[in-house]
Amino acid sequence: MIGRSALLLALALCLLGSQTRAEDLVTALSSDEVSIQSNFTGTEIVIFGQISRDLNTIARPGVYDLVITVEGPSQDITTRRKGRFLGVWVNREYETFQGVPSFYALASTRSVGELGDRELLDEHAIGLHHLNLAVSGHSGVPLSERDDFRNAFLRLRQQQGLYSERPQSIEFLTETMFRTKVPLPANIPVGQYKVKSYLLQDGGLLSAKESDLTVAKSGFEQVTYNLANNYSLIYGLLAVTLAIFTGWLAGVIFRKD
Amino acid sequence: MQVYLPIAEIPVNMFVIFGMGGAVGFLSGLFGIGGGFLLTPLLIFSGIPPAVSVATVTTQVVASSASAVVTYWRRKAIDLKLATMLLIGGVLGSLLGVILFDVLQSVGQLDLVISLAYVTFLGAIGSLMLIESVRAIRRRKSGARVAARRPGQHNWIHGLPFKMRFRQSKLYVSVLPILALGGIIGFLGTVLGIGGGFMMVPALIYLLRVPTNIVIGTSLLQIMFTMAAATIFHSIGTQTVDIVLALTLMIGGVIGAQFGARMGQNLRGDQLRLLLALLVLLVGMRFAVDLLLTPEDFYSIAIMKGAGA
Repeated sequence: MIGRSALLLALALCLLGSQTRAEDLVTALSSDEVSIQSNFTGTEIVIFGQISRDLNTIARPGVYDLVITVEGPSQDITTRRKGRFLGVWVNREYETFQGVPSFYALASTRSVGELGDRELLDEHAIGLHHLNLAVSGHSGVPLSERDDFRNAFLRLRQQQGLYSERPQSIEFLTETMFRTKVPLPANIPVGQYKVKSYLLQDGGLLSAKESDLTVAKSGFEQVTYNLANNYSLIYGLLAVTLAIFTGWLAGVIFRKD
Repeated sequence: MQVYLPIAEIPVNMFVIFGMGGAVGFLSGLFGIGGGFLLTPLLIFSGIPPAVSVATVTTQVVASSASAVVTYWRRKAIDLKLATMLLIGGVLGSLLGVILFDVLQSVGQLDLVISLAYVTFLGAIGSLMLIESVRAIRRRKSGARVAARRPGQHNWIHGLPFKMRFRQSKLYVSVLPILALGGIIGFLGTVLGIGGGFMMVPALIYLLRVPTNIVIGTSLLQIMFTMAAATIFHSIGTQTVDIVLALTLMIGGVIGAQFGARMGQNLRGDQLRLLLALLVLLVGMRFAVDLLLTPEDFYSIAIMKGAGA
């Protein structure tokens, strides 16, 4: 309950803030930190928001469109294709996509194609097929097959649950208040996430908002991960000690002679 | 019970992992092997990233060999000097293995090399063991006597320089083949996530002619230390040892091994070897199928840089 009242307070404060545009967008997250503990099996975040109009603006005809994207920290990802080589299937051609989001979830009021023209969608990376998938300079893949790699990449990421596009998943509570839930699967990478909200109408962008979301390991998970990465020798010695101790203990407990 | 693995970064069912450790532990107790060559593929097939599977199994092998070493130590069936020499080779081989592992992972051919190596080694060793055990069973059935080992018997290995005396094994041989054997098995063990006992034991018996009663304890001690080194190298180099996964596998493994060992006492040696040969061939074939059959998906992705790489 504290969470909800804090949320409403945040909304109210945002509403009081100065508004330069005719339509404005305010959003708030159910939580700005997701902590991964040993019982973590995925979670979801709820994004609330409100469309506000200043008093001088005449209500426009037509409906508002909303898009909310959740983007994870960027990664370089190599997509490889298998081919036959000397009778066995091995990885042959590859394409490395640079600076792509490690996680991308989109929620919208309508399917992405109906929201606006290609230029607008590309500019703001709205929709899986409008993500900027820049490839590294030295690519051995012929131009005609590049799209195959892009599509395979997007398909595999969707299979892993790390990329998703869910049109019609934003729920309007009143005419101007909305809410959506974005599921975060168990395999989400840790790091700084960006939650971006866009208000559109008739293919034009009216307002955009961005907020931060942190996904971090906590407790035991964090200590272990930190140890493995920053004190790897100690971690290795610890693992060996644990193994020898377990083995020795078993050897003593189950002693037969 | 779902538990999130801190290094593998995925949640797994602890009971399933415990069960896998137990089942492989049972087989390792039954056949007197480490079981790494079964456990690594099992983990990979169940969705644990290959790099984490390989590195973590090296830790699990430390535990399973340590529990057996305790027994052989009490029986004084370990040649310490021989184990030390094997170990020197083993640590060097293991170091090379980690370097190669890193390189292969970055060029995307790690899975291929692991699969090819499994097919080759498991296929070759499985076939040899199958032939040997079938012959032994036939001999036993026909009532022929097995020729005893003659101490004076020599092969080309005994002609190499830098000879050294191993009192407990009653051996006087060159250190070169011993270092090489330790090195090769340490190298393969690190790259493939296996202890290599199933290669070490026949090599010590047939190539170096180490007495059978000394072989297993010595091999286990050397595997324990080589895999301990591999765990540390993997921790520093690839940072893919998952301690939570390792501990679960270990506990399952050491318990399973006790039941396996008890059951193994009721079976004949040649029957055991026949079963093990079939098991080894089966695992090898499973990898061969993946290489030869048209894959369901031609594409795969791997994170090279940034979050989760």
